Amino acid sequence: MELILLPLVLALYLAATVGFVTHLLTGREQLRRLALWVLAAAFALDAAAIVARSLASGAPAITSFHDQLSLFAWLTVGIYLWLQRRYPLTVLGSLVSPMAFLFVLSAYVFYSGNRDFTRSPNNLWLPAHIAPAFLGYAILAVAFCISLAYLLQEQQLKAKRKSGLRQRLPSLETLDELNFRFVTWGFALFTIGIITGSALAKQRWGAFWSWEPVQLWSLVTWLLYAILLHTRLTGWRGRRAATLTIVGFALLVVSFLSVNLLSAGRHSAVG
Amino acid sequence: MSADIVIVGVNHRTAPVDVREQLALANGKLDDAYRDLIDPGPLQEAVVVSTCNRVEVVAYADDPQAAAERIVDFLATQNGLPRERFDAHLYRYRGREAVQHLFRVAASLDSMVIGEPQILGQLKEFYARAATVGAVRTVLHRCFHKSFSVAKRIRTETGIAAKAVSVSSAAVELARNIFDRLEDKTAMLIGAGEMSELAARHLLASGIGTMIVTNRTFDRAVELAREFRGTPVPYEHFPRYLPMADIVIGSTAAPTHVLTPALINEALHERKQRPMFLVDVSVPRAFDPAINKIDNVYLYDIDDLADVSEDNLAERQREAAKAELIVEAEVNSFWHWLSGLDVVPTIVALREKVETIRRRELDKTFSTMKDLSPRQREGLEALTAAIVNKILHAPIKHLKRHDPQSESFVIDAARQLFDLEEPEDKESK
Repeated sequence: MELILLPLVLALYLAATVGFVTHLLTGREQLRRLALWVLAAAFALDAAAIVARSLASGAPAITSFHDQLSLFAWLTVGIYLWLQRRYPLTVLGSLVSPMAFLFVLSAYVFYSGNRDFTRSPNNLWLPAHIAPAFLGYAILAVAFCISLAYLLQEQQLKAKRKSGLRQRLPSLETLDELNFRFVTWGFALFTIGIITGSALAKQRWGAFWSWEPVQLWSLVTWLLYAILLHTRLTGWRGRRAATLTIVGFALLVVSFLSVNLLSAGRHSAVG
Repeated sequence: MSADIVIVGVNHRTAPVDVREQLALANGKLDDAYRDLIDPGPLQEAVVVSTCNRVEVVAYADDPQAAAERIVDFLATQNGLPRERFDAHLYRYRGREAVQHLFRVAASLDSMVIGEPQILGQLKEFYARAATVGAVRTVLHRCFHKSFSVAKRIRTETGIAAKAVSVSSAAVELARNIFDRLEDKTAMLIGAGEMSELAARHLLASGIGTMIVTNRTFDRAVELAREFRGTPVPYEHFPRYLPMADIVIGSTAAPTHVLTPALINEALHERKQRPMFLVDVSVPRAFDPAINKIDNVYLYDIDDLADVSEDNLAERQREAAKAELIVEAEVNSFWHWLSGLDVVPTIVALREKVETIRRRELDKTFSTMKDLSPRQREGLEALTAAIVNKILHAPIKHLKRHDPQSESFVIDAARQLFDLEEPEDKESK
């Protein structure tokens, strides 16, 4: 069941991507609206796929690698859909949709079947760790898209391009303010995720901190976002803030992927 | 020496801004100035026009040369400025050239930004003031009204006005690409010009929060600030206010850059890197182009704005050429009228002179030959009238031909050959 849903979700994310990007380049208004509906449909179907997997395994589908990838995509799209209702940011869909597509594609590629959950003790710390951490990741993912849009708009303005793309992108001020707000929220949730994560580690492995690769990566990423927020208060905004947000998110993705794919640490969700 | 239209003045091309500023005359204070200008002669009519980009006097005078000198003296004494200070920057136009110049000014073809719409309104204000004090009579009345209608015609028949509007609306559009909202933003106007005022007006209409105005002449800054509901600041102190400005519009003709990267970096530091949008409408540029390389600063000059807005250069040039053709045609038609003004009194004087001679000679004859029958008297009347008409036919035909090249020569010749009086005060007609 879940394997039938995933390709459908993928197709819809791809269709939304094409719609949004074509709108961005040509300015055709119907495409924007159509793409938004397609993305919303993909979001609903993705939710259905997650529920189906959870029902099949008898526990929330949040622990295996492919589950996490799919959850990540779903949350990111959800946050974007909520955001664009409040701000004129539909153009961000052309960045969020392909990202969701890539994550769901990875989920599909790394699909490893249902996991037997009887081994893991039913533990409150696990959702308490994963829920804020992934919500934080998703918010930081949207912040990443906002930063990309910022750099694109900045480049249009500096290079003195004719209107068109420039007019469809949000203003620099909007993007910069949203970026700040999203990084703040993402960082807060990320911090909670690290704290509950170490509580979980204490419970499972007996130590809050054990220099695991994922812990180290997370710490580095956390520090980078902390620096970003700090320098922001002293006036690092605009292009530099956007660049740091992008670097921070890249670190986040690298740590998430490398930990899951390469490391043999206990944290690994694969296998 | 025949009467002619004369224009003497400076504009943004012939004189730097400091000279223009020193020559500037406020429309409200011109009433006494007009008495000064006209009463001692040789000017019969005059209109003073003084905007940021031009100071000129349009006059109609019997002796154009003396009139031009009189205008230069007037500019010097009104401003307490020695002639040498501005003499080299003056242009002098006469006759058709003067008419053409006035039409081009009204149609905004002589503006710093071609097609900007403010100049026409300014011209009308200065004309109205001159008319109220009685400095305008037939010729300049006709000439100015014609220039207004020419401007209107060019506005509707060519796309020339679209450029200036598109340039300043491009500035507002760009401001909206940088800033989410303009209500809490501050704009600073450095120097004043038709284009920067237009851009400022557009910003005001788009709801800009605060306006700071600075100008080399503080009085002008105060005047503009009142107009834009802004705050005037002395020119020497404007860098101190620069950190408050989100948008800076520059329109100065200073020989050096008014804004430098160092100045902007300083302001940015104080602003905690909040972005700045700089619009430089000066020609030559008043803001150092290197500023655009600084992070969070976006510098656009007038060409950038024109490029960014949708219309293309070739089209604008085509429209300008169309406008020049309209000016040319309208100058011709006005000139025809003005020349006619010289011809008609000459013809009238000629007819009157000859008729007077005929009448006098006829009366003499009738008084000596008292035995003439009424029929014979009628015959003599008809004979003399026919002779007079036959003789006058050719000269009047020449006078009416309106050949611009030989016209004034023909008129002068007719007046001298027939020993006609100089036409009495034409303006009273």
